[in-house]
Amino acid sequence: MIDKIIDNYLRFLSTLTPADFLEFFWFFLIFEFFRYFLVEFIVLILTEVKKVTSRKQRASASAELFFENPLVSILIPGKNEGKHLYKLVNSLSEQTYKNIEIIVVDDGSDDDTPAIGRMLEKAGLIDVFLRNEVRGGKASGANLALRYSKGKYIIHLDADCSYDFDAIENILIPFYMELGVGGVGGNVNVRNYKHSLVTTLQGVEYYNAITIGRKVTSYLGIYRVISGAFGAFRADVIKSIGGWDIGPGLDGDITVKIRKKGYKIRFAADAHCLTSVPNTFKKLVKQRLRWDKSLIRFRLRKHNDVFKVQASFRLLDFFSAFENFFYNVVLNFKWYIYLTIMLTFYRPLFINVFITNVLLYTIMNYIKFLLFSLFRDRSHSSVSYFLIYLPCMVLYFGLFLRAVRTIAYLQEIFFKMSYKDTWNPRKTSIHAEYLRL
Amino acid sequence: MGQAIHHSENRGTRIEYAGHSFLHIKHLESLNIEDVKNHSAVIIETRDLDYVRMIVSRIRGNIAPDIYLKPIFLQSRNSINDLVLENLVDGRISNLDKVASLVELVEENLNRVQDLTFANSISFEAQMITKMITLMYTKDQKSLLPIPYIYSSINFAYPLLSVNFSETDEHAVLNILDIAESEGLFRSEYYDRIYLCNQCSSSHLSYREVCPKCSSSNTKSDDIIHHFPCGYVGPMQDFKNEIDDKLDCPKCNKRLRHIGVDYDKPSVIHECKNCSHTFQDFFVNAKCLSCGSDRSVEQLKSKIIKSYFLTKKGESAAIKGFVTTTKDIDEIFGTIKFDTFKTMLKYEIERLKQTEGSSNICAIYIRNSSLVYSKLGSTLQKGLLKDLISVIRSNIRSSDVISFVSSSTIILSMNEIPNKISNKIMGNMVRLLEELIASTFKKLDVQFEYKVVALDHHKPYEEHITELTIDFI
Ligand SMILES: [Zn+2]
Ligand SMILES: [Zn+2]
Ligand SMILES: [Zn+2]
Repeated sequence: MIDKIIDNYLRFLSTLTPADFLEFFWFFLIFEFFRYFLVEFIVLILTEVKKVTSRKQRASASAELFFENPLVSILIPGKNEGKHLYKLVNSLSEQTYKNIEIIVVDDGSDDDTPAIGRMLEKAGLIDVFLRNEVRGGKASGANLALRYSKGKYIIHLDADCSYDFDAIENILIPFYMELGVGGVGGNVNVRNYKHSLVTTLQGVEYYNAITIGRKVTSYLGIYRVISGAFGAFRADVIKSIGGWDIGPGLDGDITVKIRKKGYKIRFAADAHCLTSVPNTFKKLVKQRLRWDKSLIRFRLRKHNDVFKVQASFRLLDFFSAFENFFYNVVLNFKWYIYLTIMLTFYRPLFINVFITNVLLYTIMNYIKFLLFSLFRDRSHSSVSYFLIYLPCMVLYFGLFLRAVRTIAYLQEIFFKMSYKDTWNPRKTSIHAEYLRL
Repeated sequence: MGQAIHHSENRGTRIEYAGHSFLHIKHLESLNIEDVKNHSAVIIETRDLDYVRMIVSRIRGNIAPDIYLKPIFLQSRNSINDLVLENLVDGRISNLDKVASLVELVEENLNRVQDLTFANSISFEAQMITKMITLMYTKDQKSLLPIPYIYSSINFAYPLLSVNFSETDEHAVLNILDIAESEGLFRSEYYDRIYLCNQCSSSHLSYREVCPKCSSSNTKSDDIIHHFPCGYVGPMQDFKNEIDDKLDCPKCNKRLRHIGVDYDKPSVIHECKNCSHTFQDFFVNAKCLSCGSDRSVEQLKSKIIKSYFLTKKGESAAIKGFVTTTKDIDEIFGTIKFDTFKTMLKYEIERLKQTEGSSNICAIYIRNSSLVYSKLGSTLQKGLLKDLISVIRSNIRSSDVISFVSSSTIILSMNEIPNKISNKIMGNMVRLLEELIASTFKKLDVQFEYKVVALDHHKPYEEHITELTIDFI
């Protein structure tokens, strides 16, 4: 049986002409290889060049930052995060950038977070600890912290993340590198990548999507999501747009709002943050359904104006949104078209096409992973650890995540499920749905 | 009964009635405290309560039993609305014609005083306990109850004990009562809890909610409002407009309509007007009205106020004399017990019969000891005595010995030294002691006296000691 398949496959390969190759694998070549390998590789080289040529500029930006020494407000909103707080504030006191105020908002926790927070406030480890007895949702927590911040820059953190000792300094430097920067995203990677297969695969995914992907989109000027886990904003800018709107997906939303105001968004690859990702497939599915739904909600509904040609139209905003929408939503469905075509017209060859696709993706993953790891400035995880897991990425990325995404998109497009997500208190999502936010 | 005879003296008026002499006091200036000893009781004419309080305190606060145990009566038409004062005196008459009604009380008091024995205890605490239980015995009072009292620096007075202390030292009564209880003289019941300034032990404190950062009490509070549709969160102030008293969202400009539907108030926030710090939890600070210290309430000393009830042991201690075992000063290094001192004195006198030498015994007396000790407390008191002993020790020969007659009187031997030189040494020593006090205890005025008696082998040792201490005890 297997002999027969291999025999059959080898015969298929030996007769494969370039024209056939294009005919069978257009999806891989045009969309995946071009966008996620070729473009990224070229841009990565360009970023490296820029890094060398702007070394002096960077040094003077750093000097300017420390000379000005502005107060930086660190906002840590969350529910039931008390257990992480002591470790977090302790690590913040180790930061190279010292002029910070820490504002923690406890959004209706029902554990011992209030007691821990008050204690840390009393001990002077937290500057301001605010508690809302009733939960208001992530956005309201962040907005309360923002309202009482006094800094020139605002940094939003998640309590369960940890940060390199120079992360604050590095995320602030882009504001001093060029004018008009409204927000800077930090480099978020996976801390618990050794926990299980699902966290290891996410480790690879984060590395590809954030460390590499955001470097590229940032260079191209279409970087679009400042992670809530680690993002810095100019206080005047974020206050002028009224802070965060109701989530989920409020990280992407606020980034778009800042872009729309005409500010640049930058990625700080050297501002390292480690986060714990879902450690079971079940939890991961839940998280991704929420994320993917928010893409529909924010791109197609709330911020669909970036696609319209109007007075405030900006090419980069359009391109940023288009790229995001195209590569996620359109291609997701296009893939099903590809699958249908293959199953309909190339049925006898389907197995061979499938095997080739798996091999192509896997080879690309290996080359990409090895080649791109040359561009790592530093890392928390060894390159070699991931190598044996890379073959799984085809299934994880090509099938698992795609299936989750499809379900999410369909749910959101037809049923607006995100408004029913208990991630937000019901009292706020009712209004969001009504206002088409 | 007979007619009262009034003698006007410049020290007040003496009223004689039925063989008893009453000292009638009209003015504070007219009181010579020593004069109280010569009368059976005191009658104070009550015009101004402050001055009555002062006279009563001076009598009850005195260290001599024949002063502090003297019955005191107030002459007043109206009853006195001061529980503490009432507890300190023995009764009231509306005018001097009613003196007859006091005689029975005075005689009862005299009888009871005769039951008492006064052991000369060395420690200040023991002296205070003795005063307290002997007073209780003469007044036939079995319990010592705390009285909430505005004039007390610890908010509660135990009149018979607190009267010995000035406002700044009043907290010492709690310590003394603890000792009395641990000696088994009293049993106690919980009454209340007080908080004392950690600097000066006063309980006159003013409590305020303050900013946790700068301790200012100048703060303002505001409700936090969460506008659901846009997620804006801020103090109510942000939502106010200039036209009407409705609330409008500063982010999305919508009017707030219905709490719980489009907005809610999840918390309250306080803002410091001094340092602009924002917070939700006030600190509570206590400002001491006595010394001005302003600290977090957590730093206050917490003390329990109890009601005390005299035990059988307490009653018999009043009659037989109370000498505390735990708080005495026997163990001060370089001293010997008074009994041992007497024995050694006896041998020295025997020796002098054969050798015709010249030996002396000397005494140093702290004239204002009760005032000094009440200021110091027992630990510092011990420290002071230790210092004194070490100075004395270094000025006498190693064969000479030192002992305490009481907490205010130190006795020592100076053998084989001419009387004149002994006197000279003592004079120098007292000057040294005064210098020592001045340098270690600022603001403490300790007054010393001394006396030297040359040993005469014709007289028994008891006579020497009496001669030496007669002026002091
Ligand atoms: Zn303040
Ligand atoms: Zn609003
Ligand atoms: Zn004080």
